[in-house]
Amino acid sequence: MIKTINLKKRRKPNRSRAGDVFVYIVLAAFGWFFLFPLLFSINSAFKPLDEIFLFPPKLWVNKPTMDNFADLFVLMGKTWVPFSRYIFNTVFITVVGTLGHLLIASMAAYVLSKYRFPGNKIFFTVVTTALMFTPQVLQIPNYLVMTKLKWVDTYWAIIIPAFATPIGLFLMKQFMEQIPDTLIEAAKVDGAKEVRIYFRIIMPLVKPASLTLSIFSIQNLWNTRASNFIYSEELKTLPYALGQIVTGGSVARAGVSAAVTLFIMIVPLLFFIFAQSNIIETMASSGIKE
Amino acid sequence: MKQGTKQTTRQQPKKPVKHKKPKSMAFKNGVTGYLYILPFAIGFLAFLLVPLMQSLRMAFCSVGFDGGMTFKFVGVDNFKWAFTVDPNFVQNMIGELLQMAYTVPSIIIFSFFIAVVLNQDFKGRGLIRAIFFLPVILSSGVLVGIETNNQLMADLKDVIAESSNLTSITDVVKSMFLAEGESLGPINYVFDAVDRVYDIAISSGIQIIIFLSGLQTISPSMFEAAKIEGATAWETFWKITFPMISSLILVNVIYSIIDFFVRSDNEVMDQIKQVMVIDIKYGRSSAMAWTYFAVIAVIISVVSLIISKKVYYYD
Repeated sequence: MIKTINLKKRRKPNRSRAGDVFVYIVLAAFGWFFLFPLLFSINSAFKPLDEIFLFPPKLWVNKPTMDNFADLFVLMGKTWVPFSRYIFNTVFITVVGTLGHLLIASMAAYVLSKYRFPGNKIFFTVVTTALMFTPQVLQIPNYLVMTKLKWVDTYWAIIIPAFATPIGLFLMKQFMEQIPDTLIEAAKVDGAKEVRIYFRIIMPLVKPASLTLSIFSIQNLWNTRASNFIYSEELKTLPYALGQIVTGGSVARAGVSAAVTLFIMIVPLLFFIFAQSNIIETMASSGIKE
Repeated sequence: MKQGTKQTTRQQPKKPVKHKKPKSMAFKNGVTGYLYILPFAIGFLAFLLVPLMQSLRMAFCSVGFDGGMTFKFVGVDNFKWAFTVDPNFVQNMIGELLQMAYTVPSIIIFSFFIAVVLNQDFKGRGLIRAIFFLPVILSSGVLVGIETNNQLMADLKDVIAESSNLTSITDVVKSMFLAEGESLGPINYVFDAVDRVYDIAISSGIQIIIFLSGLQTISPSMFEAAKIEGATAWETFWKITFPMISSLILVNVIYSIIDFFVRSDNEVMDQIKQVMVIDIKYGRSSAMAWTYFAVIAVIISVVSLIISKKVYYYD
């Protein structure tokens, strides 16, 4: 019943030349909006101090310099604990948090979208309702919970709540609903066990959604300052440490601040560049909607 | 774990006669369902539901700090205060609602339009798609940072603002134009419009992805069939593309509404945060948050009820 559609034959664009020009103009106009902040922060990182303070600011750097980065690395060497420790903390939190979130959210999303059992609908409603609640307000009650669990000042205070982020479940469930039931039935008829269906059929099919979730989770965890829950210097995260460096000094650190921004941005950006080609590739080849 | 449940479910139908089998299938489904959902449910309960209930309790209490937290039940005083005493709360909320009324539809239309364009065949498609996805990954790091959130970028922005009184991204562009010695007369109108478009464009990254992934899962054979039958591009769009993607419109509308209401530069959010952090009135801020929450919930349920009637589910 389900044919894997692998017709890679591209539909020939039935557009006029003028249409082509129109498409490009639209894309160029809006693309510029999206690129501007990125270009601005990249350029700022290489600006010498006098150019950063230039009024009005210019987008492009005139005399690029590596001074900002040199300053940053000098300051990194002066921190309380070795700088690599901050990097490790953030990498650890990001990797564990993202993988856990992916597994737990997709497991829940799988049964919510493909199984009928009592409480199914109510659970999803409650989760999506919670999505609407403003997260900042939960800070204090959340702290109380962490204290009870004795998780204050550990990684877990950051990692475990990230596992159960509602937005992940929401997106994943919507995506999984597009998988035809017949596919799962066929697998069952062929004798596949639940776990096998989940890992071998469902997970590969929702790869684009998992990458989207990962992007969310990575950028969220990578940027986390965690100053609410973590007090020990050796458990502090990278953005926190870099933030200390920037605010620790005078206005002269503005250059360093620009360098820091680029430094923090680079990891989510790289993951994105890696994942985005993958997303498009996966989605193009899996014609699961038949 | 999995094995165990399976065995117990299999033992059941042994005693009764055959017609009981369907029930055991349902039972099995239930067990699997709960098992898979359990980890998420625990996390959700501990880190969202419990804190949520805490804050609901706070909303009806006056929270004090003499050696640990003390809660004194005060009834609806906090809510009364938000509506009658606080000068800005109601006003801010109405302002946000009005703004939402035109922002969310614009986001949906814009992101749908961009997704359709990005789904076309053209040279450099990969690169351009990547550019349009940028806000999604940078949203908490840089993009929002330029506007509000990220401390580092906020510092940078402060530095810029100190020297030039700039507040928004178009102001930066505007001053760049000025620096190039061009007159601003008619361009000012353009900038005002652009200011709005910019905000909309920047907050529609995820929506574009969702639409695009939906567009890509529509099987090409459908379009081929339609073409053979002699459908025009216009008909194809309304009869195939649009219905196939309508369930995602609902997803995107809900997402956009929530995103709009919980974004950090929202005025109501600002006020809630201020009452909490600066005035240290947890009770009042929780009451405000819950009021706000109730309003959002009503809006979303009404909107999704209306839209879900029109949604076409493909099976």
